[in-house]
Amino acid sequence: MSQLLQHLINGLASGTIYALVALGYTMVYGVLKLINFAHGDVMMVGVYMGYASAFALGREAQRSLWGVVVIFAVAMGGCALLGFLIERFAYRPLREKPRLTALITAIGISFALSYGFQLDVSFDGPFDFSIAGRRGGSFDFHFDRLVLLPGASPRAFPEIIAPTEWFILGDRDVVLWNWQVISLLIAVSLMVALQFLVYRTRFGKAMRAVSWDHRTAALMGIPTDRIISLTFMLSSALAAGAGLLYAIKDTSVTPLMGLYVGLKAFVAAVIGGIGNVPGAVVGALLLGLVEEFVVGYAASTWRDAVAFGFLILVLLVKPGGLFGRVAAEKV
Amino acid sequence: MATPGATTLSDDTGPIPPALRGLLPVLLALPVLALAEWTLGASPFATYLLSVVGVNIILAVSLNIVNGMTGQFSIGHAGFMAVGAYIAGVTSLSLKEIGIPGVPVAVSDQLLFVEALLAGGVCAALCGFLVGLPSLRLRGDYLAIVTLGFGEIIRVFVQNTEAFGRALGLSGIPQYSSVAMVYFWVFLVVLVARRIAGSSHGRSLWAIREDEVAAEAMGVDTTGYKVRAFVISSFFAGIAGGLFAHFVPIINPGSFTFVKSMEIVVMVVLGGLGSTTGAIVAAIFLTLLPEGLRSLFGAMGAEGSLAQKVDQIRMPVYGVLLVVLMLARPQGLFGTRELWDVLPRWLPRKKKGLT
Amino acid sequence: MSAAVPVDSQAAMLQAVGVSIRFGGLKALTDFNLTVRQGDLLGLIGPNGAGKSTAFNVLTGVYQPTEGEVRVAGKKVNGWLPHEINHLGLARTFQNIRLFRALTALDNVKVACRAQGALHPPKRGRVAKAGTALRNYRDWWRALMLTPGFQAEERELTRQAEHLLEVMGLSHRRDEEAKNLPYGEQRRLEIARALGTKPRVLLLDEPAAGMNTREKADLMVLIRRLRDEFSLGVLVIEHDMKLVMGICETITVLDHGETIARGAPAAVRSDRKVIEAYLGDSYLESHGGAA
Repeated sequence: MSQLLQHLINGLASGTIYALVALGYTMVYGVLKLINFAHGDVMMVGVYMGYASAFALGREAQRSLWGVVVIFAVAMGGCALLGFLIERFAYRPLREKPRLTALITAIGISFALSYGFQLDVSFDGPFDFSIAGRRGGSFDFHFDRLVLLPGASPRAFPEIIAPTEWFILGDRDVVLWNWQVISLLIAVSLMVALQFLVYRTRFGKAMRAVSWDHRTAALMGIPTDRIISLTFMLSSALAAGAGLLYAIKDTSVTPLMGLYVGLKAFVAAVIGGIGNVPGAVVGALLLGLVEEFVVGYAASTWRDAVAFGFLILVLLVKPGGLFGRVAAEKV
Repeated sequence: MATPGATTLSDDTGPIPPALRGLLPVLLALPVLALAEWTLGASPFATYLLSVVGVNIILAVSLNIVNGMTGQFSIGHAGFMAVGAYIAGVTSLSLKEIGIPGVPVAVSDQLLFVEALLAGGVCAALCGFLVGLPSLRLRGDYLAIVTLGFGEIIRVFVQNTEAFGRALGLSGIPQYSSVAMVYFWVFLVVLVARRIAGSSHGRSLWAIREDEVAAEAMGVDTTGYKVRAFVISSFFAGIAGGLFAHFVPIINPGSFTFVKSMEIVVMVVLGGLGSTTGAIVAAIFLTLLPEGLRSLFGAMGAEGSLAQKVDQIRMPVYGVLLVVLMLARPQGLFGTRELWDVLPRWLPRKKKGLT
Repeated sequence: MSAAVPVDSQAAMLQAVGVSIRFGGLKALTDFNLTVRQGDLLGLIGPNGAGKSTAFNVLTGVYQPTEGEVRVAGKKVNGWLPHEINHLGLARTFQNIRLFRALTALDNVKVACRAQGALHPPKRGRVAKAGTALRNYRDWWRALMLTPGFQAEERELTRQAEHLLEVMGLSHRRDEEAKNLPYGEQRRLEIARALGTKPRVLLLDEPAAGMNTREKADLMVLIRRLRDEFSLGVLVIEHDMKLVMGICETITVLDHGETIARGAPAAVRSDRKVIEAYLGDSYLESHGGAA
């Protein structure tokens, strides 16, 4: 019983992280009808940005509250920029081309990022610079090496949230970690904010209009390009946040993490019905739970196959996903 | 039309009896292959390189049937290759000690080899059917994800199965393969691809690629055609895997990852989605280029790391290449045309066919 | 108004009985009834968004009816796939031309010829479907081996397709890619392609859209000729009143998914409801009745 509870907690915790990434897929699919294959890899880049900024902040600062905020801000901001650039220079020129070209481009970007980051490119320093503070003081930074591309080996992600057991049942039968609660809170608040954004704001209304028919939306005076750019930035920022939470959980970061987490999140979005915001969340939670239970009760070596097996099963039974319906193409 | 066979469509009064026409190209190819084997068989490096090129051609041409002609996008071809490699490998391993009575050992070995290849191909085709049926009913981009996932499932499955050597892989598979055998299959897959392209089935596949809704309304069983194309494509991927397993010392899950699938996708896209000769040219080019660079750096006496770098850099370069291709020349080298359609004007051209 | 539909499945090639279709809360089509017999030339008109194309899509199996049933050649085809329905003898064109753009005109028609039902009549049920699937694989095998039978079939297809191109006056475009054809010829090629499937009922979705007066006049002649030559029942969606009134024997008028009138052109033209739907109440008020 307690084992069950523990798996439930772990499953929900990883499910919320998948959910944040899955939301990105669903949003971009919603506005562009494009599977943004590179989404997971943008997330990975975000995690490395967070890693680098944690490193720059140093051991003390990275654990303070403001340090964590800075790390998240850098990662999410950097990713928003990356998402913007990818959309502007890779997807936008192809918007009126056959869908396949955009899909291939996305696969190419994903590939370039995940394998490009496995290269080892660094410059030996020393590099020093400082930022002048407002009241005369200054922040000094010193690096021995400047790493441009990190290389294939996994790196330990700093414990920016020191792991603490917050809740223990029995003799450590059930353990609830602080980062699980924190990531759950962050994930849920981001989702609520997103739901509000999509259904309660002018931006959200414009987004839904673009999703319905971007040509007509443009005719109605909606700045389609800007909406699509913003959607990409938003989804990339969400991915970066999710990626950091994942890295905190996993305590490591590798160039291939984007591919795996991204794919699972995508599977989650499809299971929930792609293009459907609550569907993505439910699909992700389900996937997190199923994965956790398979690992817990069957064999951990099968973990990576679970998601896809589940996907094929869902597609067989309910092709449009749990909440989506197979949209008949307008003829 | 391209194939010697297909040209006979128009002239029905050829000197060859119709029953033979279908097999004629095969009969013509056999002596050529024997000659190639005789001249090249002695050099292990040439044999290895040619075999790798041949396997990649089989993979690219077969993937082109799905990704190019039918316009569906599968990115899990290495998964089917893995199925073929492991099934053929295990079959050969278990039949190693057995000989077919009454025939010389060499002949018996080759017969068993073909049998192992077919076992691998058929299993891969079966997997293609099982994977294709649920995903090909849906919109094209689902296929990408499902095939990718299938590759992962295969990898995890192999890693968890004792009979397949888990993560260590299979070694000791008899090295039956030869240049002649590889190129026999290369020849066969090209023949099949061209004959499909020139037949009513090929037209239906093109129609699906052009407009699925219209094809369905015109009575084309789109799902059925897609599944059949997928099955044929998987069959040849399995054959390629089987061949591969019989000329490399060891096969392990690492040989059939997403990276391998992407390599094949890049070949097909670079050659031009829908162009069989394009896929062949791209497969040859993309296989020889890294090999060539590596030997070049090695010969120049550059530090060993530089030659290694070629391997590392290949993957991101493929990614960038895809993006640049899509932005600058989405139709690839040849588009849907074939080599003879794009040859210079002063060369004799075939009559313009389907595209 | 929903006129009682005479049930006579012998002659009725295509029949819609009480068909309704809903998208979420929106009723796109309500209690739609229609019968097309061999030799009929029917029109389906209505203002934009009245549900005409929806009706076409539900008849051809693109959409599933929420209520009611569609019968083709006497068979209930609810839940059938479009290609299966096509094999029963129902072919269509599209409002926004949907040719296989990169294929030649001839190949466009040949795709349809190949797919016609006579080769493998549609069957429902698991066993029958498995049999069809096996036959299909055998068919591929024949193509790969270039059997004489297969080659004879190919030649026959080419002959049929060439004949259809000739009927539609497109022989000179035989080897040209469909996307390079002028607009009017693309429309005609679509009809040729539809005829390739050997239909018994032909559905034309705005065949005259984008044509000039001269072309429209030719089209009217052509449609009549096709009906007689191929023994078809024809159902036309059209905005051009002159064309519809000119060739159709019976016209059905849709508005907001409901059938508001049906009858001979003259009767429909003077129907109060129809004028209201097209021109609005205010027109009636200011002009005081039927025009």
